[in-house]
Amino acid sequence: MNFSRPLRFIAFIVAAITIASALNVAVTKKSYSENYPAVVCPPTLSGLSSQISLSSKKTQFQRLQNKSKKTESVKVLRLPVMKDSLLFDAQGSTPVVWQSKAGSWAGGALCSGPASSQWFVGASADITTKGRLIIVNSGLSDAVVDVNIFTENGKQPLRTFNVLSKNYLVIPVDSLAPGDKTLAVNVVPRSGRINSFMIDEQGKGLRALGGDLVNPTTLPSKVVIIPAIPNQGKKPGQGAAPEHVLRVLTPGDVDSSVTVELLSADGVFIPVGLNSRSISAGLVTEFTFSPKISSSAFAVKITSTEPVVAAVESSVAIGGGKDFTWSTGAPELSEFTIAVTGLTPLVVFAGSEINVAVEVALVNGKSIRKAIKGTDVATWRVPAEARSFTITKVGKQTYAGALVSSVNGYGYFPIAPGSVLTRIEIPDSNIRILNP
Amino acid sequence: MASQAAVDKHRVTAVLVSHNGAVWLPEVVAALTSQTRPIDLITAVDTGSQDASTKLLKSARIPFVSADVETGFGQAISLAVNKLPKAVENEWIWLIHDDCAPAPTALAELLAAVNDRPQVVMVGPKLLGWHDRTHLLEAGVSIAGNGARWTGLEPLEYDQGQHDGNHDVLAVSTAGALIRREVFEELGGLDPKLTLFRDDVDFGWRARAAGHSVMVATGAVAFHAQASANERRTVEVEGAFLHRPLLLDRRNAAYVLLSNSSWWILPWLVIQLLGTAIARAIGYLIAKLPGYAADEILAVGSLIVRPGLIIAARKVRKKQRFVSARVIAEFIPPRWSQIRLALEGVVDAVRAKLFPENNQVSTTSVLDTNDDEDLLTPVNSNHWFGVFKRPEVIGFILISLISLLNSRNRFGALVGGALPISPAGATDLWRTYFESWHQVGMGSTVATPTWVAITATASLFFLGKVQFLITIFFLVAPILMMFSASKLLKRLTGNTWISIPAAFLYAVSPVAIAAVSTGHIATVLFMILAPLVALLLSDIENIESFTWRKIAGVSLLLALLYGFSLMIFVIGLAAGIISTLSDYGKHAQEANAALYSLRFQKRVALIFVPFILNIPYSLETFTHPSRLLVEPGLLIPGGGPIHALLGNPGGANSLPIWLVSPILLVLIVSLFSSTHARQIAEYGVTALVLAVVVSALSISTHGNEASSKVWPGPVLVLVTLAAVAAGTVLLDRLRETLVLSHIHYRHILSALLLFTTFIYSVLAVGWSVTKGADSLVQANQETVMPAFLSVEKDVKILVLREVGSKNDKKIQYYLSRGKDISLGEPDVAPTQTVAIADAARGLIDGSGVTSSSTLSDFGVKYLYVKAPFKKEIIRSIDGIGGFSRTSATSLGVVWKVTAPASRLMFVGADGVRKELEAGEVGARTFVPSAGTLILTETYNRSWQVLENGYRLDRNKSEQGLPTFTVTEPGEISLIHDGTIRRGWLSLQLILLVIVLVMALPAGRRKSEISERELA
Repeated sequence: MNFSRPLRFIAFIVAAITIASALNVAVTKKSYSENYPAVVCPPTLSGLSSQISLSSKKTQFQRLQNKSKKTESVKVLRLPVMKDSLLFDAQGSTPVVWQSKAGSWAGGALCSGPASSQWFVGASADITTKGRLIIVNSGLSDAVVDVNIFTENGKQPLRTFNVLSKNYLVIPVDSLAPGDKTLAVNVVPRSGRINSFMIDEQGKGLRALGGDLVNPTTLPSKVVIIPAIPNQGKKPGQGAAPEHVLRVLTPGDVDSSVTVELLSADGVFIPVGLNSRSISAGLVTEFTFSPKISSSAFAVKITSTEPVVAAVESSVAIGGGKDFTWSTGAPELSEFTIAVTGLTPLVVFAGSEINVAVEVALVNGKSIRKAIKGTDVATWRVPAEARSFTITKVGKQTYAGALVSSVNGYGYFPIAPGSVLTRIEIPDSNIRILNP
Repeated sequence: MASQAAVDKHRVTAVLVSHNGAVWLPEVVAALTSQTRPIDLITAVDTGSQDASTKLLKSARIPFVSADVETGFGQAISLAVNKLPKAVENEWIWLIHDDCAPAPTALAELLAAVNDRPQVVMVGPKLLGWHDRTHLLEAGVSIAGNGARWTGLEPLEYDQGQHDGNHDVLAVSTAGALIRREVFEELGGLDPKLTLFRDDVDFGWRARAAGHSVMVATGAVAFHAQASANERRTVEVEGAFLHRPLLLDRRNAAYVLLSNSSWWILPWLVIQLLGTAIARAIGYLIAKLPGYAADEILAVGSLIVRPGLIIAARKVRKKQRFVSARVIAEFIPPRWSQIRLALEGVVDAVRAKLFPENNQVSTTSVLDTNDDEDLLTPVNSNHWFGVFKRPEVIGFILISLISLLNSRNRFGALVGGALPISPAGATDLWRTYFESWHQVGMGSTVATPTWVAITATASLFFLGKVQFLITIFFLVAPILMMFSASKLLKRLTGNTWISIPAAFLYAVSPVAIAAVSTGHIATVLFMILAPLVALLLSDIENIESFTWRKIAGVSLLLALLYGFSLMIFVIGLAAGIISTLSDYGKHAQEANAALYSLRFQKRVALIFVPFILNIPYSLETFTHPSRLLVEPGLLIPGGGPIHALLGNPGGANSLPIWLVSPILLVLIVSLFSSTHARQIAEYGVTALVLAVVVSALSISTHGNEASSKVWPGPVLVLVTLAAVAAGTVLLDRLRETLVLSHIHYRHILSALLLFTTFIYSVLAVGWSVTKGADSLVQANQETVMPAFLSVEKDVKILVLREVGSKNDKKIQYYLSRGKDISLGEPDVAPTQTVAIADAARGLIDGSGVTSSSTLSDFGVKYLYVKAPFKKEIIRSIDGIGGFSRTSATSLGVVWKVTAPASRLMFVGADGVRKELEAGEVGARTFVPSAGTLILTETYNRSWQVLENGYRLDRNKSEQGLPTFTVTEPGEISLIHDGTIRRGWLSLQLILLVIVLVMALPAGRRKSEISERELA
């Protein structure tokens, strides 16, 4: 049999495959648009003063209530803010706002991008409160925001607010659940580019009892790590060690069982009475504990059978006055940059195996590197001349928070990115989407 | 004898009219002279015969009068009667044609019939065929409302005495009619205006209107050759244009109706006559008989333009009328009986075509049958069960069950995959086909593909329910695939145990399963028709022997396939080029220029006539070549060259790549075969090469901006068919070879092939009825667009949607007109406007501060983000500005563009934009002042705005939208001028009719039909 003709056809197939392979270029290549959403810093309310720490003088900003869409450079590394909420194009570096009331309190918070849900565990709606919930709409359209309020008496009726475009709304906290002592607030925007902030300020008559900016968390979780809780310890002449109050809420419909583990340089233990404590669903519950440890800061790990939100209120003494801080849960540490100009925070890392590398950018343009290692808890004081530091390497299951002390008070903020790199695929036009 | 006594009291004069009737005249004369009741007097008139008619008359001693060649029949009779002696009582004139031979007893029977009926003035015999003397021609005659000659008989009706008896009739044929002479003279004889044809009906009608009776006496028989009507001789009479009697017959029919009918039904009669003439003319044109067609029109036309003739004739009849003309109403056939007869004729014709009579004579002699043996043979009462042992029955039951199981989620209105939702009625599809402007995206003027018109036509068989048609089509498609494949494969093997499983494999091939699951209509249709095309073109190697009629017929079939996918044109073109190159090589050796030129011409016709039949759609390929590679509906990507190599189109809902079909293996094995399978495999491999190359290409068309791999379905159909056919031929011969040889590689290869095929079949069927049932195409799926967005008429909505699998999501957008896309719309979808693309991108990445104003400029009123969608993007849109949320439901989020946005915008002198009311395409609205009118549709020269009868100046805006300068307030009309589209469609229709006429069997003139057939 003559095989030449069949073989020619087979060669023909091989040639076709070769040609097809050459033609078969990758057609499914996607195009992406990557950017960091602009972050929003809270407005400076009457009687307060604010400074925003920035990592670059070239950081572009825009005043929220300015109708012009033009942005301008900050030209400083620590920007004092008189009134308006500001919108920063920080490009991956998270600015930190430090607010204070002269001689009364101070607190820090992260400037952040818009959020779909924010939980504030802190503040009180009783007679002593002067707290406020600030809802900022940085979008160009009006926004509708739902506010869910939980107290020791359970879930309160839903409150809905309309926030005008490029504007903010200040809601007195005591109007949310008048008379209730323990609050947890969930802000959920129905529409709009929304950020919320909470100021917890307490006073009894003319006597200030301190205050703080309550940092938000995004989602309830079965494991909550609060990485930095100040612990001033018992001072000479002081009757008892300062107390810490753990506030916990199970927002779901099922009761939870909560165990609190305390992580400190002195060891890891469960404080008395905080093992397997039952928490009723929907009720804000508080536990007081007073650990006898020598560390100036510690962390807690809350493990629950149901997702919970939690925060720890710690009383601190500054100068001759009193203040308190709300230490809130922090997300797992990732690689990012945070601006800390002028703050000199004490950063507390928590985790079973802490292995973090940081690069500190100094105001003089130089940078230094630092490696932080440890078990359970490790602390690192950021140099005074630092303008920002970048987490360049981090192990798994590591969390961090920062404690800042100033003449007016004591504050906490989680070490977390205010805005994350958003990678959005550039869309295609395709009529197919009009077909089921 | 009573009859003889009756004969005695009558006097009968036979008047014979001859005109070139020498063929029949001897027998006619013999018949007259052999009458049992002798004729009293015979006289004849010859109207200018050129043959031996006069000699024959002379030799028969029949006295005759010679008349002019143009003398009509009636005139000739009058001529003879005028020369007769004075009339006597009971004198009868017996009219005899020169092609009509009465039976010997005819006259006796006729006279016997009228003996006791003095009111009867005209009596005629039963007319039988000249050649086939059992063929019943007439037993009385009438006229239908449309002028047709009505005998009440079926074509070629066999005479079994079923119409026998003496009956009152409207008229009898003048061939053998016996007419009372005094009445004949009283009525003025036959109308001289009716030179030939219908003079009998006219006379009968007049006789009845004068109060007399006319009857047929079937005891009397005459044999009639109908030489003039059957064009056995040339008709020379006046008005017989081109010597064709049809014109005369039709004109005379109209004359009879219009002259004798009551005046008040004349308008209706004119309409009927004209309508019938036009319909019959079209029929004759289709049958390629343009002369007859012209006769039909000329006949009625020539009469209507000369109303004086009718008026004069009506005056004469008015004088003769004794009773109302409506006295004949009972003899006019009811319309239903005409329709019934016509339908029976059509059914018989179709039946004869489909089930030709088996004229084979049984070779079994009756002597072979042993009746006793029959009685001893036990009766097997279970014969019916044997039916289920036949491979055809098993195979078709199996494929039906598989199709039912596979389609369990497809009972209802199908949508998904490449298939958009079908419109409710065929009229919507027709509108899509005819309209010059399509409201898709920013609008387009792209020519609608021909498949839309074909689908609309096909849906007529389903009462115009397109959805029902589509559902049934996909349900029965596998069965039809198997059926058509079995038709082809039976030509390749007589063993149904091979052909039926092979046809089954064809119906469960990867391309068949994928095409049905993904809604690729063209591939499914091609799978059904490809075996039939292969059958028709089985002798394509000898294309020179194809008749042009066959070329036209195949071209029509190919045009239907091209109408669904021009990829089949690409296949044909590739095959044509290869064949032509091959011919070029052969021609170099044989140097037969005429042969190869003819082959080339026919090949070109076969490839390009279907292409031309699909204009204007096919011409779009010159500007959009990607349309050569697409199917109807949405662009669903194929799987690429590796899939194609394995005979699998790939992509969503296709068989997984591990489920390898034996297609490639069969083709390669067949290449080494020494049988016909090798040639088939070579075709298959060539198609496979084309499929591999095509599947590697990427195109963006049909509303899809991103490049997608071409779906190679239609090419793979040929590959599959070739593999199945080659395998069939291979197996057909293999068994004998294997039995006769020792075990060697062929045995192993055959076992491997059969094993692979079996495993594939089982797995493919299993996949098809399990996972395959959850196909992209499903019934009754929820719509994308919420109902509340379709409330506003023709509103433009920018839709954003996240599509793709869980791990590979992609954001896509498109402009909707308030509802989901419908069948045919993706095929005409325009490319996306750059500004809208930028606006959509800005919405997604949050940079689109101008998105709202851009969308407003283009008349986009709403933004709809279909759930599920990333919340970040929804927040981003919330923050961009220029949009206000109107709703957020589980279906998605809707924003309204805050700036004015509508289809028709007006910008006055103050620069303020106002929304104007606009219809779906055209609009009629009021403009409040001078200014500029902006139509937010893609610019096109056919857009026109008329105000006070004048066209407004049209310009193109920066955004590429048509604008019109309004100089004064007033009412305006917006139109899209569809003249060009209508022109193209008219051309397409003309071309289609031409090719259709060429493809239909040609009709024959009566002169071309043999006597035998006529009989």
